Amino acid sequence: MRILVIEDNERLARLMVDGLQLRGFSCDIALRLSDADDAMASAIYDAIILDLGLPDGDGVAWLAASRRYRDMPPAIVQTARGALEDRVLGLDAGADDYVVKPVEVEELAARLRALLRRPGLRAQTVVEVGSLRFDTARRTAHVGDLEIELSRREADLLELLMRRAGAVVRREVIENALYNFHEQVTPNAVEAAISRLRRKLEDARMRGVLQTIRGVGYILKDTAA
Amino acid sequence: MMRRNSVSRRLIRGLGQVGLVGTLLLLAAVVFFYRLTFSHLEAGAALQRAILESLEHVALPVVVLMVPVTILGLRVIRQAFVPLEDAARSIKAVKGHERGFRIDTSQMPEEALPFTGAVNDLLERLDEAAKRQEAFAADVAHELRTPLALLSLELDQIDHPRALRLKGDVAAMRRLIDQLMLLAQIDAAASAQIAPEQIGLVELARDVVSQVAPAILDEGKMIALDVNGEVPGIRGRKEAIAAALRNLVENAVRVTPAGGTVQVFVGPGAVMGVRDEGPGLDVERLRDLVRRHRRADHASKNGAGLGLAIVDRIMAAHEGVLTSNPDRRELVLQFPEG
Repeated sequence: MRILVIEDNERLARLMVDGLQLRGFSCDIALRLSDADDAMASAIYDAIILDLGLPDGDGVAWLAASRRYRDMPPAIVQTARGALEDRVLGLDAGADDYVVKPVEVEELAARLRALLRRPGLRAQTVVEVGSLRFDTARRTAHVGDLEIELSRREADLLELLMRRAGAVVRREVIENALYNFHEQVTPNAVEAAISRLRRKLEDARMRGVLQTIRGVGYILKDTAA
Repeated sequence: MMRRNSVSRRLIRGLGQVGLVGTLLLLAAVVFFYRLTFSHLEAGAALQRAILESLEHVALPVVVLMVPVTILGLRVIRQAFVPLEDAARSIKAVKGHERGFRIDTSQMPEEALPFTGAVNDLLERLDEAAKRQEAFAADVAHELRTPLALLSLELDQIDHPRALRLKGDVAAMRRLIDQLMLLAQIDAAASAQIAPEQIGLVELARDVVSQVAPAILDEGKMIALDVNGEVPGIRGRKEAIAAALRNLVENAVRVTPAGGTVQVFVGPGAVMGVRDEGPGLDVERLRDLVRRHRRADHASKNGAGLGLAIVDRIMAAHEGVLTSNPDRRELVLQFPEG
């Protein structure tokens, strides 16, 4: 996976790239927005890591403008300003995620993986979380060589959770994704589907991978990571 | 005890003196005009006439003039001070850290303007000084982030058990800086007087719990949200309240042992809180932590107290309170209803 890191502090950019490369990403560095434009013209990137304050302009403004006239890969906005308003600003401008400096490479890598699991232009057909693999075209799930038998709805549920692995998926999001308007959703339909899926995952030695956050939703998480 | 100088009393005293002098002058005039002599005072009829004359020409005019003048004078003074009393009330109503507060001079009598103007100038200079101080703190916090990011990334490449410990220290510093930035932003937002928005506490709690859950699971702990009864909407600044709840959760996670659950709850009423499996924070200790950090003469090791002081400040800005129920191991955010 190819990542473009847009960051004006060269040493910081270099260190981030070193860390990301250790974790299997191949990276290019752009020290300014004009470099980023050149890089994007000559290569296709799977994701961008974008700093907000750059010598030749504001990252968020650049992102919003670029989104208007070309296809942009998903972007993670990185900022030192931090906290309250920036996040809203960044997400409004078309950033897909947001991290506050000083960010850990581990966290950045996790966010990138999560971002790349989302359905999109270059979405892969196989989604992986740890040793769990889901083929989105054939609707099959495997742990190693072992196939997990899933109903249509369980497969949809697993795909949804895996695409957002590492993040909490809200109950109402699952309800909306799994049941259409005309279907009567009983209050515990989601719970029932989750517990069936959890049992199947546990039978496939994936214990603890699917957790309930009571009152909020569910999270699928690679327990090894 | 010395009696304080009072404009009303001085007026009465002054008018009393004017009355006395007036009475004496009038009396002299009457004596001169009617050619009264001491011999008149001996005869019965003449005495009666003398008394009548003095009553008619001295006491009556003095009373007729002095009483309304006194009443009018006192009323003018009272009315002149009403705007000052109003100003005093509005100054008293200022809680804590509002910026941009000025005395309303539109109703002030001209004579009071130099005073209120001077007070307003002082308030403005204080605001400016506070703003500069905060901007400086925010700048420092901001500038610290890049070297911290470098430090943490360099450490990332060192495969040594000590590097891990150092990374822990860097993380603690990062938390402190985040808290300082938050504090600066709350104050900046308060001074900018951004209009509050309608906030659903349940939705806000769900957002916060979703955000923090992955990191809490990584630590081998759990988090859950309970919604109890009816929860009315409140008005306020969403990101600030979310930050307050996040701070409480972080605090609770720190004291909850591995395998334990941090419980966030909302309602009944405009109430949000966090229950943990730690020892509970007694009311005195909470007050102490909050107060000490307000005075900024104390620094705790991991910024826990600073975090709570910030929560307290966010709550004060929303006219709410941060309280502790140590026996239930709860920290509660209580918002005003409606």
